[in-house]
Amino acid sequence: MTRSRLVVLGATVVVAAGAMAALGALYLDPARAAVGPLPPQALSLPAGTRYVMGLDVKRFVASPLYAKYAAARTSNRPQAFEELEQKTGLNPERDLDQVYIAGSQAGVPGRTGDALVVVVGRFDRAKVARAIETEKRGVTSKNVSGTVVYLFNESASGKGSGATAFLDDDTLVMGTQASVEQTVTARARGEAPLRNNAALLALLESVRPGSTFWMVGDQTLLSNMPKAIPGPGGPGTSQSIELPALKSLMVTGDLDPQVSLDITGEAADEPAAKNLADVVRGFVALASLQANQKPELKQLASAISVTTEASRVHVAARVPYEVLDSLQPRPPRSAPPRPPAPSAP
Amino acid sequence: MSAIPAVPAAAPADGRDVSRPVPFLRAARAVFDLSLEGMVWSRRSLLMILLLGLPAPLALVFRTFITRLPPRVGAFDFYGVVIAFYYVRNALPLAALFYATALIADEVEGKTITYLLTRPIQRVSVLAGKFAAYLATTLALALPAVVLTFFLLTTIRGWTGVGALVPDLFRDMGVVVLTLVTYGAFFTLMGVLLRRPVIPGLLFLFVWELLANAPGYLPRFTITAYLRSLIHHRPPDEGLAEIFAQVLPTALCLEAVGGMIVVFLAAAAWIFSNREYVLDQ
Repeated sequence: MTRSRLVVLGATVVVAAGAMAALGALYLDPARAAVGPLPPQALSLPAGTRYVMGLDVKRFVASPLYAKYAAARTSNRPQAFEELEQKTGLNPERDLDQVYIAGSQAGVPGRTGDALVVVVGRFDRAKVARAIETEKRGVTSKNVSGTVVYLFNESASGKGSGATAFLDDDTLVMGTQASVEQTVTARARGEAPLRNNAALLALLESVRPGSTFWMVGDQTLLSNMPKAIPGPGGPGTSQSIELPALKSLMVTGDLDPQVSLDITGEAADEPAAKNLADVVRGFVALASLQANQKPELKQLASAISVTTEASRVHVAARVPYEVLDSLQPRPPRSAPPRPPAPSAP
Repeated sequence: MSAIPAVPAAAPADGRDVSRPVPFLRAARAVFDLSLEGMVWSRRSLLMILLLGLPAPLALVFRTFITRLPPRVGAFDFYGVVIAFYYVRNALPLAALFYATALIADEVEGKTITYLLTRPIQRVSVLAGKFAAYLATTLALALPAVVLTFFLLTTIRGWTGVGALVPDLFRDMGVVVLTLVTYGAFFTLMGVLLRRPVIPGLLFLFVWELLANAPGYLPRFTITAYLRSLIHHRPPDEGLAEIFAQVLPTALCLEAVGGMIVVFLAAAAWIFSNREYVLDQ
């Protein structure tokens, strides 16, 4: 074998070893989820779910943002968490892994309370159950497909204002009675209704697992968003800027070592996407123009990139904490002491 | 395809019909072996090792100092900058320029093309063998550096979460291959077309390709716009790119890149097969 072939062979071995290691990491990753960032138990969510949000509590707690927040609120935080820990044995910072919020009626007037919260972590089930039963009056329970569902303020007709249940030892689900019962039943039967929601599933699969927080949703989620924003003439003038409607929205973000945010919105068509991208770029340009008065805005503007891909708009922001700190309002300076008034002659 | 007729001679030991050219694959392989030896062990390759391998030591420095300095950029974001800005936009096109334009131009310049053209082999097999050697050399230099950079940067905080980033690695490796093939095909065409192709090649890379940052349909007249659109990393840009940045649809990019590779290589093969090389005495 010639020396050149040896070089090529060596390179091939390195690449092949890298590819094998990468495949190993992909398939053996403990965070590997069922669909995108969702764990298998979350697939029991109702098929009619229109939006899902997730928070990786471990990453959030380990982030510099939380460290700052915790340091700033150090007087209140331990007390609240201590009370919760005493009652339920649960320390959210230590015991929670993931929190998911799902819903189907966002933006529909009068139907705001159907959100379902799924909490994954390590619970002392007996202690949590006792806390639920004793903490408030009006808590009743019923058996749904072999799972105890706690109902809050159950009426004579058997309807509760809210419900909670353990899907398994590590998963607690809270929300409206109908949603909770639907989820519990699906889980007991081993069904995965969310797999029937092809549109949402496609969005979930495009979320990168491992993000600190993320959110996907269709146009229902965005129906409460303003359709137009005031133009340069200010509010109330005819120069308002029409915002194109979005068909879906995906947000992912990380907090370490800087605040990273990736937003992808799908507009109705390519011109609408370009229009929306231009609106966002306009705001970024406005921030750049303000840089003379506030130099930190220049950094913020250069940390944001806007691109379009067919009917999709992608906004990526990478904001260092120093920039965020510089944007915080500074405490007012104490007025310098006045010189003593001259004594009257 | 024209072939140089062999001079009638005594029948070779393997019993081959000397009145016919050597079969395409056999000839291409012989040219590949010859060219690979010349390409890998050359001063050009030394420069290219530095150019294409630079991100790996940089990643090592980043990995070493990230724990000691206040972090300003995430490790995966830094990897994204390396792929999107360094490799796809600059280093890989430059490597393709310096290697691919030289495939034929160096033989003409060194007056050694006569030795190739007077063999009983098809001219296309010469080009194919040389192009394959170019690909083997550049991929052997670039891909290990990409893989090492990826692992050095993404495992800074351990292996947790690396699995989620693996699809990006495979996508990036694919785009690196496509970048080298596409620019390689284009600069091979320039190499057979022009006597001194490096300066026009540099102008193409650093002037014409800036159209990728322009608005409207202008980016579609460049190669880089299609390749940039195939990767997922979108680091913040500055200037025109910040204002007009657009990502072309993946299907369109793959079609365009595939079409360009076929057209450039076919044109290069046709020109090389039909061109008469008159060497200065």
